[in-house]
Formats: sequence, structure tokens, C-alpha cells
Amino acid sequence: MTPLDHYPAIDLGPLMKGLVIGGLGIFHVFLAQFAIGGGMLLCYLQWRHMRGVCRLARRFTDDYFKLLVLVSFVLGAVTGVAMWFTSIQISPRTIGTMVHEFHWVWATEWTFFCLEVVAGYLFYRYGPRLPDRARLQLLVLYSFASWMSLFWINGILSWQLTPGAWLETRNVWAGFFNPGFLPSLIFRTISAVAIAALAACTLVNAVPGFTREERQSLVAVCARPLAFMLAMPLVGAWYLGTMPADSRGWATGGSVPMTLFLTMAVGSSTLIGLYAVLAILRQRLFVNGATASLLLALAFVATAGGEFVREGVRKPFTIREYLYSNSIARDGVADLRRRGSTADDPYPLRDQADYPSEQLVLGAKVFRAQCSVCHTLDGMNAVAELAATWSIDQRRLNIAQLQRTKPFMPPFAGTPAEVEAIVQLIGWRHAGRPADWAVSDDPAVLAQIERWLDEAGTGPGDARLAVGARLP
Amino acid sequence: MNTPLPLGLPPATAFYLCLYLATLVVHLMFMHYVLAGSIYLAFGRLMGRARCQACRWQSILIDWLPFATGLAITAGVGPLLFVQILYGREFATANLLLSHRWMAILPVLIVCFYLLYLQKSAWIARQVWVWRPAVAAIACAGFIFIAWSWTENHLLMLDRAAWPGIYATGSLRYESAGVLPRLAVWCFLAFPSLAIELAWQGRLLGDRLDEPTVADTRLTGLSPVRRLAVTSLSGWAGTLLAAAAYWPAIPVAAREAIIGPPAGPWLTVAVLGLLIQIAAWSVALFSDRLSYIALIVMTAAWVAALLGIAVVRETIRLTAVDLATGGELHKTALGIGGLPVFLLFAVLNAAAIGWSIRLVRRQITSGNGSA
Repeated sequence: MTPLDHYPAIDLGPLMKGLVIGGLGIFHVFLAQFAIGGGMLLCYLQWRHMRGVCRLARRFTDDYFKLLVLVSFVLGAVTGVAMWFTSIQISPRTIGTMVHEFHWVWATEWTFFCLEVVAGYLFYRYGPRLPDRARLQLLVLYSFASWMSLFWINGILSWQLTPGAWLETRNVWAGFFNPGFLPSLIFRTISAVAIAALAACTLVNAVPGFTREERQSLVAVCARPLAFMLAMPLVGAWYLGTMPADSRGWATGGSVPMTLFLTMAVGSSTLIGLYAVLAILRQRLFVNGATASLLLALAFVATAGGEFVREGVRKPFTIREYLYSNSIARDGVADLRRRGSTADDPYPLRDQADYPSEQLVLGAKVFRAQCSVCHTLDGMNAVAELAATWSIDQRRLNIAQLQRTKPFMPPFAGTPAEVEAIVQLIGWRHAGRPADWAVSDDPAVLAQIERWLDEAGTGPGDARLAVGARLP
Repeated sequence: MNTPLPLGLPPATAFYLCLYLATLVVHLMFMHYVLAGSIYLAFGRLMGRARCQACRWQSILIDWLPFATGLAITAGVGPLLFVQILYGREFATANLLLSHRWMAILPVLIVCFYLLYLQKSAWIARQVWVWRPAVAAIACAGFIFIAWSWTENHLLMLDRAAWPGIYATGSLRYESAGVLPRLAVWCFLAFPSLAIELAWQGRLLGDRLDEPTVADTRLTGLSPVRRLAVTSLSGWAGTLLAAAAYWPAIPVAAREAIIGPPAGPWLTVAVLGLLIQIAAWSVALFSDRLSYIALIVMTAAWVAALLGIAVVRETIRLTAVDLATGGELHKTALGIGGLPVFLLFAVLNAAAIGWSIRLVRRQITSGNGSA
């Protein structure tokens, strides 16, 4: 594997690239889980109708399925493709590696997409005219296919955080059935069912033609799957237990944003679960449209929090112990320390003429290659802001020993001259980008930077990530 | 490359190329329906309410375009996956260079998709007529924009020398003499596909295409069969003209490969498929009938032509990419496990799809369905 592949980096202005993919990812996951849980809920409703214990279920199933098609088949499908394209925009090497290693898994998932779309559309188009048994058969086929798509993608996503024995064997199935696979699959399945149940409670109140009593009886049935949320704390703890110790540490106090997002996810889920179990299922309270919408919004918040944590705790990697967040191979850092991270970069800077020296041009190229995936220069999570109060020697030390400065940062993967170039770039921007800026090439400074680089080594900062301590 | 594709390629590359082409042809079938169908509707809606309501093909398109779009997107996932295995670096680089402009196809696709549902909604049926041509035109413009973006992206993939320059300027456009004629080739090529697909749909929905039209055609101008024939024949004429305009923009090495050993036999297959379709549609045009046998023959010719054209398209790309580096990557990719699982589920899910269609057809045709 090459240490670093150069692609033309996109410019999102003041926006962090991570936020773009994160935002879209949360939206897509929520829609996808709605579709998966929706299929299961509709199977349950149709089954109850066939047993003669819910006479309204058949009609409501048709209404619900229309919503499913309009939301999931359009927004869900296109945002799925968008996830792929956005991943290429943000980190082509990460998605390229995932595609390379798991293309047959993805291809298998695709065959289930095809089944899901055909079975779903047949139900949407002909369901109202079909007898009950055929309706149930189609619904089972649809929901099985949609759940299987979760099954396959879940293996790839959980592999990114807990690649398990894949790191040693490079066996696709060792990577797919990784330590996080099962708890993540169960957790996502429960989330999907809960989202679908809350969407159903909202829809019951939105479609015309039901009396208050009919709405109440439908809500009572649709809300039943929310009882599965009682298992969430256990499964969540299991999932947390499979995480690498340092990642778990970020989520449980080591990193304030991660902990806050985890709290947000747990808090929202707890509120939904408590309301569902105590108010809806035990006291059989009626849930009106406003309450159901609020609960659904809370479910979105829980999804957002959970997805943010899942993405965030992988740091400093995008593929654990294999590829750093900035797409530099873990095993390639030593090579880049010798050759430099910009030596093979064929792309010029767009604003090259604005820089008063070649050293600043180099600094901007180093920033683009190593930092720009998570940082901006002056916008969100700006390097200039983060290093604003550091003295010049602090900047040199902190960047040279980046993995020690913050353990969720990757090691600096370049030469001492590249460290000095980015230090000067930060200083130049702080000074208001003057037209003249002296070149800093003192051999003593570069020698000191080199010592700092050597001291920190080429591995990640957290000792628990050291080679030999990889597997539990 | 001195042998017909994919024989001259390293085995792993040839394997992925075959998979890519097979899935691409399936995607093209649905994509052509959507692209040509939306153009057909946009122009058809301009003919006024009475003529539109009398047009059998417009009603079928309004009814089925949303589903066809879903199928086109789903069928597109396969080739999108394999293109990244075959040309990962080139594909990602073109995506990144076109950046926001390229990503704009996604919101546009969402809007177009919803507009297709809006076209068949009860809501629009209650509005004044002008809404319908307006919605059809916007959806059509959106799909053409997506086609244009794909064309630019594809051609930029092949122009490695232009990458640093385009990046430096920050331009989100790739201007090349080949963009418009190539876009025109693919847009026109969609019409012969649409004609065959509509003929099958009409037949499956119970239309008698094998008998001369007895209905009054004063309102619609041409009979349904003749309209399909004109659609296909004009589509082929446009394709040939656009291809002639595109030819000078193709690099010399690629042109030699197209008419030489690598793609020459495939070009012959495509031309034969084209000629058979032209002949069959010409007969249909004059006789005002399309027999079942003729439909089967022209369908086979259509699939052969699409496959031939897809290989010719790929030949141009293969002459522009670094096959030596790619070949190594393809070899390691093929060594990764999972192929048997894919094949197993491909067969099982194809069977499940067939079974579910049969289930619905049987229930609907036997009258078991409750109202």
C-alpha cells in the first residue's frame, strides 16, 4: 500500500469536510432505518390483520407503505448514492480501500437492494388489490431484503472501528464478522424498529378518515415494537465493550464532544423508551400527532448523536490501525518522514500567487495533504485558531509531536522542513498575510524539529494503540 | 491490444470488465427509459390535453417513470461499484475536480424523482393544464443535466493531462470538443431503447400491437405502433449523426482501437443490431403492426447493439488509462474472498424477484385480488 495517494482536494470554504459527510450520513441512516423498521412493522400489522385482531391494519399498512415509498425509495435511495459520492469527495482513499476490500460484500448487498425495490414497488402498486396471504409474502420479502442490506453494510461500517483479526489475516470474513458486528447489528435493528414505530404513530394522526378510537387502537398496536428499546442499554453496553479501549475512553469522558454526543444519544433514547413503556404501553395513553412528531425528532437526535460518536471515536484512524483520518497509511508514516508528504503531489495551489515564499506554498500544500480533511485554515476547527496562543517553538513541538499533543491526532507524516513550513504558514496567517515573510531555514531549528519527530516516533500517540497491543 | 476485448486484457481486468459491462447494460436499459421517457413526455405534453390523453405511450410513461427511475438508480449501483474497482483513481479524480458541480446531480435527481410522482398525482390532475407541461419540462431538464454531468465526468476521467490545470483554475467545468456530441449520442440512443421497452409494456398490458390500428388516429396523428417506429428510427438517425460529430473528437489511438482488432468485432455486432432494428421498425412503420416474433428479434438486436456500443465505449477508456498499474490492483481485488457469496445471493435474489413478480401476476390475472 502506498503511504499517501494524492487526489485533488476539494474546498468547502469555512465548512469542515467531516461535518458534511457526518450530516448527510445521519440523514441517510435515519431514512434507511425507517425503511428497515417500517418493513418489519408492516409485516406485524398485516399478520395481526390476518389473525383478525386488528381490522384497521390492512388499510393503515397501505397508507404507511405509500409514505415508505415516497420517503425511502426516493430520498433513502438517492442519499445512499450520495453517501458514496460524498465519501469520494471527502476521503477518496478511505472509500477506495473499503470498496477494494469489500466489493463482493457490497455487490451482495446490491442484490438485496434489487429485491427490496422490486418487492416494495409490487406491494406499493398492487398491494391494495392482493389477498392477505400474498400481501404478507411480499412484505416479508421486502423487509427481509431491507434488513439484509443493513446486515451487509453493518459489517463494513463496524469493521472501520473494530477490524479485528482482519489486521492480521486480511481475510474478508474476519473483517466482516468483526467484534463490533453483532452488537452493532442488533442495536441498529432495534433503532430501526423504534423509528418505524414512532413514524407510524405520527402517520396515524396525519392520515384522514380514522376516528379518535381507531387512532388510539392503531397507536397501541404500532407502538408495541418500542418495547424492544428496553434491550438497548444492554446491547449498547455490549457494543461499547467491543470498542477499543481508547475509543471507549473518548466516548466516556476522554473527549468532551464525544461524551456530550453519547449523552445526547443515550438521553434521547431514554426519554423515548420511558415514554413508550410507561405512558403508551402501560397506561395506554393516546399519542397525538404533536407528541409523536416530538418523539420522532428525539429519535433523530439519538441517531445523530450515535452516528457522530461512531464516526468520532475512530480517531485518529478512518480504518482502525490501518489508515489514518488524513488517508495516510499507518505503515507509511516513516517513509513520508524521509520523502515528505508533498513530494509526489501533482496539484498546484489555486492561490499560489498569494503566498510570498516557496516555504509558505509548501506549508499550504502540507496543510492540504495532512490537515484539510478535518481542519480549515480560518473556518471551522481552524488550525490558525487552535494554534493561536502557542509560541513559535510550541507550534514546532506540538506539530512535530502531533500524536502526543492530542492522542486523537495522527502523527505528523513529513520532513522537518514541512513542519517548519506549516508553522510559518500559521504565523503568516496570524500576522494578517503580509506581502513579505522571511523564510525560516535555520539548520538548528530543523535539527530540533527532527529530534522531536524522532522522539514521538511514527506510531499513534495512545500507548494502547502500539503494535502488539492491537487485539484484545 | 490485438485481440477482441476482453481477450487481450489480464484475466482479472477482463473479469471485472465483463461484470462491469453486464451490469452497465442492465443499467442502460432502465436509464434509457427514464431519459428518453422524460424527453418524450416533455414534448408530448406540449401537444395539449386532448392529444396527451389519447396517447397510450404518454399514459404508460406517466404511470411507470417513477418506478423505472428507482430501478435505474438501483441498477446503477452495480456498475458504480465495478467502475471503482476498474478505474478507481480516474473516477475519484474526475469526481473531485468537478466537485460541487458534480454533486449537484444528487439534489437534481431527488427533485426530478419527486416531480415524476407529482406528474401522476391526483393533485396535478386537478390543476390547470399548464402545470403538466411545466412539471414534465423541469423533470426532463433535470435528467438531461444529469446526463451532461456524467458525460463531462466520463471524459474528464480520460484526460489525465488536464487534471492539474483544471484543479489550478478551480473551474467546475470540463470543456472539451467531445462533450456535446457524446451527450447527444447517449441521449438519442435512449430512444430506440424506449421504443422497444414501451412495445413490451404495451403488450404486457394487453395492447394488440400485432394488428393494424382500428382506432381513430385523427387526434394522435400516428397510430401507437407507428409512433414507436418513428421514435426508434429518429433515435437511430440522431445517434448516427451525433456519432459522426463525436468521431473527430476521439483520440487517434482510440479510433484505431475501435475499428481495429480490440473493438472492431463489437462494432460489427452493434451495427448489425442497429440494422436489424431499423429493418424491423421500418416494416412496422409501413404495415402498422408489430408481431410478437418481430418484437423478440428486435429485442435481441437491441441487447446486442447495446452490448456492442458499451464495449466500444469501454475501448476508448481503456486506451486512455494506465492498465499496468490497474491490472495489479484488479489482481489483488480478485484474490479477496466473497465472490461465491455474491454469486449465490445474486441467483437467489434473482429467483426471489422472479417469484414475487409471478406471485403478483398470478393473483391479479386470476382475479383473486380483492378490490
